[in-house]
Amino acid sequence: MRRSLISLIVCMLCLFAANAVLAGGGGPPKNLIKGFFLRVDSDNTALFKKDVTGQEIVLKLSQDIKPEDVPLNRKVLVTLKTEGHKITDEVKRISIMFINLPVSKVVALLVVGLIGGLLSGFIGSGGAFVLTPSMMSLGVPGAVAVASNMCHKFPKAMVGAYKRWKYGQADIKLGIIMAASAIVGVQIGIQIQKYILDHWGNAGSNLYVSLMFVIILVVVGTYVFYDAFKLKKGGKEAQVTRLARALQNINLPPMVHFKQAGIRISLWFTVPVGVATGMLAATIAVGGFIGVPGLIYVIGASAMVASATELVIAFVMGMWGSIQWGLSGLIDIRLTLLILAASLFGVQLGALGTTYVKDYMIKIVMGAVMLIVSVSRGAKIPGYLADLGLRSPLSPEKAVFYDAISFWSLVAALATAGIIISAAMIKGMLQARAETS
Amino acid sequence: MKPKKSKGSLLVKTLIFGAMSGALYYLLFSNEEWVTTTYTMGGWHTVYPVGTALLFSFVHGAFASNFLSLLGIEPKGGH
Repeated sequence: MRRSLISLIVCMLCLFAANAVLAGGGGPPKNLIKGFFLRVDSDNTALFKKDVTGQEIVLKLSQDIKPEDVPLNRKVLVTLKTEGHKITDEVKRISIMFINLPVSKVVALLVVGLIGGLLSGFIGSGGAFVLTPSMMSLGVPGAVAVASNMCHKFPKAMVGAYKRWKYGQADIKLGIIMAASAIVGVQIGIQIQKYILDHWGNAGSNLYVSLMFVIILVVVGTYVFYDAFKLKKGGKEAQVTRLARALQNINLPPMVHFKQAGIRISLWFTVPVGVATGMLAATIAVGGFIGVPGLIYVIGASAMVASATELVIAFVMGMWGSIQWGLSGLIDIRLTLLILAASLFGVQLGALGTTYVKDYMIKIVMGAVMLIVSVSRGAKIPGYLADLGLRSPLSPEKAVFYDAISFWSLVAALATAGIIISAAMIKGMLQARAETS
Repeated sequence: MKPKKSKGSLLVKTLIFGAMSGALYYLLFSNEEWVTTTYTMGGWHTVYPVGTALLFSFVHGAFASNFLSLLGIEPKGGH
């Protein structure tokens, strides 16, 4: 009876998730078209051939775009201007779809991929938050950067999840239930975003995303950090939180036993954590920052099991996301595979690194990354406030300054994580060697 | 604890997977034009990037795993 009830609820979640896939949520924006410019006319219009369908349409160029700047016969992404819900035929922005890849760019992608993979293998998520902006700074159009990054995330997570499952850390059942709930959460997140976009426009939506990002990351990150330091100072093993213990004691059928995590808890408490992860993934693009702390503090998993299980969630969500972006033909596989070349080393290093460290090290890295990353979004807030007319407009110098803070704080987060993880791993390996010799 | 793999068999595996991975990367970048066009056609063509990413992760992932073991970088307790 209990087993069939669990199966029924999981099936319903999967059906919701499948429905979400069919509805096409989470894909690229609708005002983005892909194809080639065939000709530019003197009246500031251009003949555009859409990719795949081959349909030829006439587009108007906005005043900021000079006719000589329009690349002919090269695959481009065109962002069209919107008026409310209506998509106009006026070109807002043109981006070359496939950037040239000189050695310097290849090296940059490999380095970011390696450290991103290391972080991902160690704390279960991360890397993506810095990979997308890094690719964009190399000249990759935003939508292609998101798509190519997503397509690198799921194979990397798969390899990491496999390794950590072998080490006895990943709970596949918990991961699959969380992932199915998270896909439902993504849909709710998208609806909230749409509501905000309709009522407060693009600047309002950006402000909402940034505020959510900063508040959640600062609150959760500080708590994770505080918890880690308490454990490090006290030298004690991590305890299951009072909240998680109370929830585990509530006998609300269907109760599910997660063998690897060593937890027995009602499905009614597992699903909301998954939904919240998905909602956050849809809002701030890094669901793991709520998924891992949720698994630790609400469900009662250890940081080791939570970070490993997050990789299972990242695999399912990443695969789903990649299919969505692939359907729109926006994945630049060259970028995906270049990042993957290094991140498959990084993720396995990070995964085996967890076997040498204490549970609290994962919390230290996670807390540190969350707090530094929150600075990057915080630096965007003055610009969005100015867009909404809630403060005086930013001078061009200040705008550049805030952008630089935003980008470099992401790089700092990745570098800090790389240094802490490497140092902890080397220390652990040397200790283990000394013990065996 | 499982018996440790011999250095010789690790080297052979690393070389085989390394060569396969190198060949795959060579194939991809020597046909860049065709790949970028076909893989971004949208619709059912989504199987190209998703399938390729999976294939590379198996081959290159196995290479990376064997390479790290060859360097002596193993998990604690040797899983």
